[in-house]
Amino acid sequence: MSDTVTLAGPQQRQFNPYSDNGGTILAVAGANFSVIAGDTRQSEGYNIQTRYAPKVFRLTDKAVLAVNGFAADGNMFVKKVKQRLEWYRHAHSKDMPLRSIARLIQSMLYGRRFFPYYVYNILGGIEEDGSGAVYSFDPVGSYERETCRAAGAAQSLVQPFLDNQIYFKNQVAAPGTSHPSHLPLSDVLALVIDSFTSATERHIEVGDGLEIFIVLARGAPIHGLEAIQGIQEMTSNAEGERVFIVRRVLKYD
Amino acid sequence: MFLTRSEYDRGVNTFSPEGRLFQVEYAIEAIKLGSTTIGVRTSEGVILGVEQRIQSPLLESSSIEKIMEIDAHLGCAMSGLTADARTMIDHARVTSQNHAFVYDERIKVESVTQAVCDLALRFGESVHDEEAMMSRPFGVALLIAGHDELGPQLYHTDPSGTSVKYEAKAIGSGSEAAQAELQDKWHSQITLEEAQKLTLRVLKQVMEEKLDHHNVQLAQVTPAGGFKILNETELKAAIESV
Amino acid sequence: MASSVHLPTGFDFSNEIRNNFLLDKGVKLPKATSTGTTIVGCLFKDGIVLGADTRATEGPIVADKNCEKIHYISDNIRCCGAGTAADTEFTTALISSNMELHALHTGRKPRVVTAMTMLKQMLYRYQGQIGAALVLGGVDASGPNLFTVAPHGSTDKLPYVTMGSGSLAAMAVFETGWKAGLSREEALQLVKDAISAGIFNDLGSGSNVDACIITANGTEMLRNVEMPNERVQKERRYGFRRGTTAIKSETIRSLIVNEEIILPTTEAMDTS
Repeated sequence: MSDTVTLAGPQQRQFNPYSDNGGTILAVAGANFSVIAGDTRQSEGYNIQTRYAPKVFRLTDKAVLAVNGFAADGNMFVKKVKQRLEWYRHAHSKDMPLRSIARLIQSMLYGRRFFPYYVYNILGGIEEDGSGAVYSFDPVGSYERETCRAAGAAQSLVQPFLDNQIYFKNQVAAPGTSHPSHLPLSDVLALVIDSFTSATERHIEVGDGLEIFIVLARGAPIHGLEAIQGIQEMTSNAEGERVFIVRRVLKYD
Repeated sequence: MFLTRSEYDRGVNTFSPEGRLFQVEYAIEAIKLGSTTIGVRTSEGVILGVEQRIQSPLLESSSIEKIMEIDAHLGCAMSGLTADARTMIDHARVTSQNHAFVYDERIKVESVTQAVCDLALRFGESVHDEEAMMSRPFGVALLIAGHDELGPQLYHTDPSGTSVKYEAKAIGSGSEAAQAELQDKWHSQITLEEAQKLTLRVLKQVMEEKLDHHNVQLAQVTPAGGFKILNETELKAAIESV
Repeated sequence: MASSVHLPTGFDFSNEIRNNFLLDKGVKLPKATSTGTTIVGCLFKDGIVLGADTRATEGPIVADKNCEKIHYISDNIRCCGAGTAADTEFTTALISSNMELHALHTGRKPRVVTAMTMLKQMLYRYQGQIGAALVLGGVDASGPNLFTVAPHGSTDKLPYVTMGSGSLAAMAVFETGWKAGLSREEALQLVKDAISAGIFNDLGSGSNVDACIITANGTEMLRNVEMPNERVQKERRYGFRRGTTAIKSETIRSLIVNEEIILPTTEAMDTS
């Protein structure tokens, strides 16, 4: 029989609803295209939850969203963005423009200012004027249009590489020449693949698979794209922008 | 009053056996008592024109507001119970601002019109609810003029919540004669300046008083300049040119 | 009493108070390289097979893609280390030295239990502060011996053992495939499979498989016995044109020192 009352001191209990599921995403904008990529490993601590969990999603023929951080929040967020895009399509009888999607994502993220979606978003695609664009976001909705951006576990490994190879940071142009403001698609794809194979070498949470989305502006030439092995087209409307996906394997260790 | 109506013309939520909503029909009748209002669409922009009835020489004509701005690219002219229009335009303004805030783009003319029509239908909502904000249909019709990616457009809305797109439309007391005249004179190549003259000419025909810059108001929506109500000098010049 | 002028032996704790003070002030202590690691060992008919992966990590970053985790204790004894890299390296090296001295002292071939006892006594003394988790194996006068030593000093003697963050993945393979009286080839294959399970399923482990076979006839170290994770060829070559790096300013300093030697005009000694 216990008729004694235990008088314990004040207690505090906590529930942490978030976790970090690793992985890395990146996007690069060209003059008339945009490339958005992410690895497919989903991990927690030292465990691999799955070797194939997509982090990059086609929203429309001109917009692709990459989501990295807490996978449960990421999947839910993408679901809600897609729902909002469909509502918009019904209300305004057109696809939402890229800059509007960017603003919508800000509104949705800031709407959860005090219980945020624990995700870093990168939105890539084609603007209404036909230019390639990349928008990057923080978890509470601060956003900015950029030429390239890496996020996630290996951001600190990949972003400096991109700064050097795409923005030509710390590189002096040869006398009488200047650096290009946009790279051709073939160069961008090579840099994206090298970014991920290198991140896989040195970051334990990056690996397994790579998915690269390519969005081409309306009427942009597809030179060389059809030659890439395993490329698939995901375009839904023939006379608009075109979306392609390239899949590659990364190391499994 | 017809006997058949007396039983079914009270509630806004009750159809008559013939399938009519009398309160809505009466509301549409109310518009026919309003001053004449005209909208003309051209490929360069849209013209809105209204008659302002000066019932007394002591009335300050500039205090009659029958054309209002919804957003930089959207304008609105009204006829009927103009007090009701304030609620509708308030709603249109909020909808337009919210759209710009959330989507970083100008709302389409069709979309803002639809938002106004959604509001117009709210009279049927929860009559037994203390919180219900509307007791009757709006007694006003609007001509919503605007410009978006689909070009200059003109929409007409009425108390039934119906919206229709027009090239040229007249509402209010002189609308029948005015509409017939618009139908006769409007053509697809019409310029903005010609549309302005046409609007004034049609108003002049249907107005009882002599048209001058006190009893008429003009506005335009153009891709470059957006919504603008013509000031006194511009209005005078327009009237003189007719 | 005069303080000693000699350096004391063992660990130096003189920065303990200062470091705790800095920690309280919010200064981050440097992160030690840890071997996230899969290490294993198993008994077979004629001896012991040890195995290890080759990944070393600093948090989520791979610090070394091909490090050695099977450490030398004596000719007939090896020790796999998991945990803090410095601790496993230093501890095994220290015990290796002491084992050599012990062998010289006794004039006998060293025994595995001796190394095990030295390790556990040292680790117990440091109350788990030395982060070394070890798999110790060898063949001595008593036959094949296989142990694990945990960081606090507890030990196990088992026919097949695993340690490190990949221990569960590796143990799953052992539980499925190990049986008494395995041949040398069967045991090596089982160890390779166990390490591979760690390499592919545990993020703390990766790269290559190292193995070591110890029998009464001798020890065979199989460094990188399997290399299933070679880097693929890069898409581009990343050379830089001469002159890519900006030169902000340039000063050239001559290393040739010019000296003028002025000889003193000597006067004759005054001898008057």
